[in-house]
Amino acid sequence: MKRFIATRILLSIVTLLILSILVFVASQVLPGNVARNILGPLADQASVDELNSQLGTDRSLVVQYWDWVTGLLTGDMGTSAIQQRSVFDIIGDSVVNSAKLALLAFLIVVPLAILGGVYAALKEGTLRDRTISLGGLSATAVPDFVWAVLLIVIFPLGLGIFKPTATAPPGSNVFEQVYYLILPAICLVFVLFGYIARMARAGTLEALDADYTRTAIIKGLPQRTVVRQHVLRNSLLPTIAVVATQIGYMIGGLVVIELIFNYNGLGKALFEAAQRKDIPVLQTGVLLVGVVYLVATLAADILYSVLNPRVRLGSES
Amino acid sequence: MKRRQERVDAIRARSTERENHLIDEYRFGKIGRREFVRRAAVAGMGLPMAGFLAAACGQARDPLEQADEAQQGAPSKGGTIRVGQQTPSGALDPVTVNNQGGLTVLGQTGEYLIWSDRDLKPQPRLAESWSSNDDGSVWSFKLRQGAVFHDGRTMDAEDVVTTFDRLADPDNGSNALSALTGVLSKGGAKTVDASTVEFTLDAPNGNFPFLTSSDNYNAIILPKDYEGDWEKTFIGTGPWKLGEYRPGEGITLLPNEQYWDPARRPLSEKAEIVFFGNEQSLILGFQGNQVDYVVQFSVSGGKALLTDPTVVTTELKSSAHRQCHLRGDIEPFNDKRIRQAVALLVNRTNLVNGLLDTKTDIGNDSPFAPVFPSTAPDVRQREQNVAEAKKLLEAAGVADGFSVTLSTWQGFEMPDYAQLLQQDLRQANIRLNLSITDAGTYYGDATYGNSRWLDSQMGITEYGHRGVPNVLLGAPLLSTGTWNGAHFKNKTYDKLFADYTAAIDLDSQRAASKQIQELLLDESPILFTYFYYFLSGAKDYVAGIDTTAMGHTDVSQAGFV
Repeated sequence: MKRFIATRILLSIVTLLILSILVFVASQVLPGNVARNILGPLADQASVDELNSQLGTDRSLVVQYWDWVTGLLTGDMGTSAIQQRSVFDIIGDSVVNSAKLALLAFLIVVPLAILGGVYAALKEGTLRDRTISLGGLSATAVPDFVWAVLLIVIFPLGLGIFKPTATAPPGSNVFEQVYYLILPAICLVFVLFGYIARMARAGTLEALDADYTRTAIIKGLPQRTVVRQHVLRNSLLPTIAVVATQIGYMIGGLVVIELIFNYNGLGKALFEAAQRKDIPVLQTGVLLVGVVYLVATLAADILYSVLNPRVRLGSES
Repeated sequence: MKRRQERVDAIRARSTERENHLIDEYRFGKIGRREFVRRAAVAGMGLPMAGFLAAACGQARDPLEQADEAQQGAPSKGGTIRVGQQTPSGALDPVTVNNQGGLTVLGQTGEYLIWSDRDLKPQPRLAESWSSNDDGSVWSFKLRQGAVFHDGRTMDAEDVVTTFDRLADPDNGSNALSALTGVLSKGGAKTVDASTVEFTLDAPNGNFPFLTSSDNYNAIILPKDYEGDWEKTFIGTGPWKLGEYRPGEGITLLPNEQYWDPARRPLSEKAEIVFFGNEQSLILGFQGNQVDYVVQFSVSGGKALLTDPTVVTTELKSSAHRQCHLRGDIEPFNDKRIRQAVALLVNRTNLVNGLLDTKTDIGNDSPFAPVFPSTAPDVRQREQNVAEAKKLLEAAGVADGFSVTLSTWQGFEMPDYAQLLQQDLRQANIRLNLSITDAGTYYGDATYGNSRWLDSQMGITEYGHRGVPNVLLGAPLLSTGTWNGAHFKNKTYDKLFADYTAAIDLDSQRAASKQIQELLLDESPILFTYFYYFLSGAKDYVAGIDTTAMGHTDVSQAGFV
């Protein structure tokens, strides 16, 4: 088990290193000059050169990359020249916001989708199964921004309940924040439900068809016990992987939803950083999303191996 | 009646030649009442005196002065007024702010020497009065006594001098250089005494007061020891002071109880300025009652607001526009006839009705928007004339048309505008290949050789509102202009620009502007096809909000009806 985890961590570090190079190179390709962006078109070239020198953006790419990576390793994320704030503050606030939205959405969608998927599998071939499967698939197929606009038009604008923007006023308590976040969270529920429920349904069907389940039924165990003790444990394995890979998307990929609901999450921060050529924020933010993906998939792998010894043993052999 | 005439005579006796000339222009009907009051204020006569002279020299009120009766009702005290606006695109620093999101914020806690109101009339703020020498090359400003910064220090002449030195210094990356270059250099402002500042200009300028006003939105008066940390304090002398700033989210403003003008102390207990990252979320937030007022919306983005009975919209004529440059130093637009043909192919009526839902004035291929008083009214309006355009193309040897790339960026209505131009020009077989990118790609390094904006054959660029046309006449059109995407180099134009800038009275300005307008119509380096209105919206339960076409929004007297 330890060797399995160590191998996974080592692979994750290599992946992060490659990702950091990719992110750095991609940031440099963005059009525009950092100092020119800050000083404006009328600033003379000497002032632009001077500011580029102060910001270090005139140094060789290798030196800039090395400084950035060593800074990150020592906990220094740098400063955004555009926003004149530390990158840690900008990214930190955004990540906290994204995490709040992701948590609320997961708290709703994961149990709902698993229950729906398992129920559909248990009622395979019936109208209820088709309703859950097709309904979920249809909801997932509709783009998130369509759901966002639709929900805003129906609830805050039509019925006068919930809020069209997701940022709660300063000093709001948890319940008020949830009230503001509920619409974007529902949006994500629609987007993710079909995907997760489909996985849960497929896993359950596979587990229901397995020899150990048949044996348990033949032994005369009640259906509820069979499902709880034999089916669920095995059927949720692929679902866990799906949920884990969605975490990265939820933390840094909700650009459109965050823009429509005017929510200051990481996706919106990265989008704006790319628009303004705010390289320190963009590089660190994208790398952070990569870290989240890696940690989530690593956690899923470990959980997977705990639930399924065949994975662990296969890796060790 | 006799006493009134005696008072007029007395005023005239002590007025300068320039001021008397202005009074005569008004008396003989060359300018209207509204324009007289505006120009008298620019000349430093003071609004009460200008108002008296306007009444005494007897003209009826202009119809426009009675228009725009929106937001009626007396706002009551208390409550929190919530204003929705675009997120500022960078750090908030009065010296460097270069976007509307930022400037709307600046004007809440900061103040200018002069407030350029929605009618482009200069209203005294931190300057009580101002006057110039005869040729407009030296201007003297008398400062208000008793104005204090939020930290309790008294605002004085030294603060004003250091503020303008800071703005005129190229090393500071000041955004105000776009207005001050060639007008005021560092060191041009001098302290006369604690309450008087004298500006010695690089060249005579009849519109200088506007360059110290809210039109030059970077010219917030800051303390002499300001070091660029404005976001921590939002220091100024304005009616609001900082409660809490949440970058990217918004600002809580609290009344400044020490504000020098008791009549303008805030009515509301608090003002919340909420930032929105895009227009769609701003409109939805407004419709969903998240904010009471939306500073600006576009026709395309906020169409629903125009017909919403619970929304009071304000439409202000402005000089904001899109320039479509035709680069004149390379083929195909190095032939004047081809540029003229392109201008003649554009159906401006379609643009006004279709693209902007009539919320715009038609442009006549010069920066002189109808809103500017100095715009000469008797220059013929260019209309679509396809037959004439085809003749010109034939004479230029391109009767079969040609292909050219039109560059712009994915913002506002510009992609739609590009497509309409594409359709119009197809009538003469001119094929436009559209290159629509993001803003960063379009502007590039914003220097010649490194920018699609400045290097492309043909490009559409957005320009915001200005209270006077000086900047729009300079940077994009002068031979030495830094925004000259058309690469237009014309010595006659350069001379006319200098004449216009130096002109003090309206007659001289209109004489110069007429020549400029006719020259630009003939040369057609840039298509100015429309000047769109500044649209803002308020819920019908609020009143007292004052917005200008620049995007300044004064909510000090805002409240619930």
